[in-house]
Amino acid sequence: MTHLFTALPCLLGFALLLSAMARHQQDWLKRKLPAHFSRLLRITGFALLAVAFIIAGLGLGWAYGAVAWCGWLSVGAALTLTAQTNRERILTLLRR
Amino acid sequence: MTQGQAKQGRKDQGLRQSMAWLHTWVGLLPGWVLYVIFVFGTAAFFQHEIDGWMRPELSSETRVSPRALAAADAVLKARAGGAESAFVSMPDPRGGSGLELSWRMKDEKRGGDGNRVILDPATGEEAQVRATKGGYFLYRFHFDLHYMPVMWARMLVSIAALAMLVAILSGVVTHKKIFTDFFMLRFGKGQRSWLDAHNASAVLVLPFYLMITYTGLATLLFTLMPWALAANFPDRQAFYKTTFAAAPEREASGRPAATIPLTGMIATAQQHWDGALPTYIGIDHPGDGNTTITLYPEQGGWGHPSHNTLYLDGPTGALLPSTQPVKGGAQATWRAMIDLHTAWFAGYGLRWLLALSGLGGVAMVATGLCLWCVKRRARLHDPARPHFGFRLVEGLNIGCILGAPLGIAAYFLANRLLPFDLADRAAWEINSLFIVWGGVLVWGFARAFACTAARAWVEMLALSAALFAAVPLLNALTTTRGLGQSLPAGDWIFAGFDLSMLALAGGFALAARKLALRKARPAPRQRARREATA
Repeated sequence: MTHLFTALPCLLGFALLLSAMARHQQDWLKRKLPAHFSRLLRITGFALLAVAFIIAGLGLGWAYGAVAWCGWLSVGAALTLTAQTNRERILTLLRR
Repeated sequence: MTQGQAKQGRKDQGLRQSMAWLHTWVGLLPGWVLYVIFVFGTAAFFQHEIDGWMRPELSSETRVSPRALAAADAVLKARAGGAESAFVSMPDPRGGSGLELSWRMKDEKRGGDGNRVILDPATGEEAQVRATKGGYFLYRFHFDLHYMPVMWARMLVSIAALAMLVAILSGVVTHKKIFTDFFMLRFGKGQRSWLDAHNASAVLVLPFYLMITYTGLATLLFTLMPWALAANFPDRQAFYKTTFAAAPEREASGRPAATIPLTGMIATAQQHWDGALPTYIGIDHPGDGNTTITLYPEQGGWGHPSHNTLYLDGPTGALLPSTQPVKGGAQATWRAMIDLHTAWFAGYGLRWLLALSGLGGVAMVATGLCLWCVKRRARLHDPARPHFGFRLVEGLNIGCILGAPLGIAAYFLANRLLPFDLADRAAWEINSLFIVWGGVLVWGFARAFACTAARAWVEMLALSAALFAAVPLLNALTTTRGLGQSLPAGDWIFAGFDLSMLALAGGFALAARKLALRKARPAPRQRARREATA
């Protein structure tokens, strides 16, 4: 269960970090978001990654949790990357 | 100021370029060894599960019953009487090894396979298990290689790992836009896509690569840096004696005396270790008046020191005095690094994360090796007749990147196909691995030197898909633990193994299909261009 609650903020955190980048805002929304909003997204994204670390540490022990956190970071980033790569497909699905 | 900036810019360019050069060559030359280390090392995370699959005669029970211990006592008494030493290896909690007894007679060499008996942990009956090195071989190969002296292999692996560290660091410097390109993976753009794939597989799993490479070097510490030992101890033995626990060595008395039963030894161990079990029991001079029993503890949880090794007197079961191991800061740091590398502490959640990270490493090295060719193909003087170095790298790429997994598939197939009582059966499983791998290498070179490398990739990917898909199929045909039975029974070692093989087969099939379609596409465009220019 701790694994799930570490994985989710990792995934969400990377999704927010992606959406904080002007280039990817253009990709997904066809426009750029205001700078202060992007900054908020970035800070929240990093905060979520930190929250994941705390959840992993409290739930699995700090040593074990740190290793698991690194693993979920990679998985979260990889899933976000997969979504970004399949953007056109996802957008078509959403439009339908 | 602008001049200063320009100067800074030039200097930066110079550093980056020299790092790019370093990254290219430090990555390429040991690249094939690194790839092999990553493939086999990743498999090693599931060493015991692979052991279990490759010994289908063993039940999935890993707890030892008192009945089995009594049976073990009887076997040792009847067949290991007068032996120099005997060993009892308890089953690993993750499976793959029954209750294993072995012994060594006087003047017999160490490591002989003759005196070995495997008992079923539940019933204590002698299990007829096929001879195989199992997952242990895959684990050993990732740092000891095969068909060559172990010390040479370890030096080679150490050099490759050092090169890997250099490649990681120079890669980070070379990769200009590590943060702005963090989520970039553009397909269908030739060299750009290969670079994206290489960057993505490297950056996303970077902490793991640094950790596994550095701690991997730490496991080979005394191979790489023996000087601290050489300066402080007359020899290795003296170092081990002062650092690890040891009991006084006792000569055999020649006076026979019954050794206490295994249940007695285990009860004593549990008394001293808060209920923890021994994993390994050594008995020196069994049945003698001066028998020494050595009890090795289970590893404690991560961050908890494991219990001390215990030494008992054979006939009485009384604790023998022994020196205690040194427990300093350096020792603890080193142990933590080895624990981190071997991941023995990891449950299945973390184990899969580590294995996926390992696959990331496989992808990173493979895309890096391919990128070398992709980049140079565009700049070739005459693409129809590349120079020797290019063909050599291309052949090696096909032969290693697909040869290693194909060899592993052959290893698993051989485990099911080779006759049960074939002489040197375990060795022939290993030979099958290398015969197939060698075949792929030869085929890769033949295609590379005939300038049809693209076809070799499609062929070998398709063959990989076929062989990996054949593994669960053959398992279902030759054992009673195919997917049809293992899934409903919750036999996770078998179900997990077979499903992983199917997933690998699916991955290879997808790659083969993509590549076959991509190769077919440019042809009409080329024809159109030719027609247009004509």
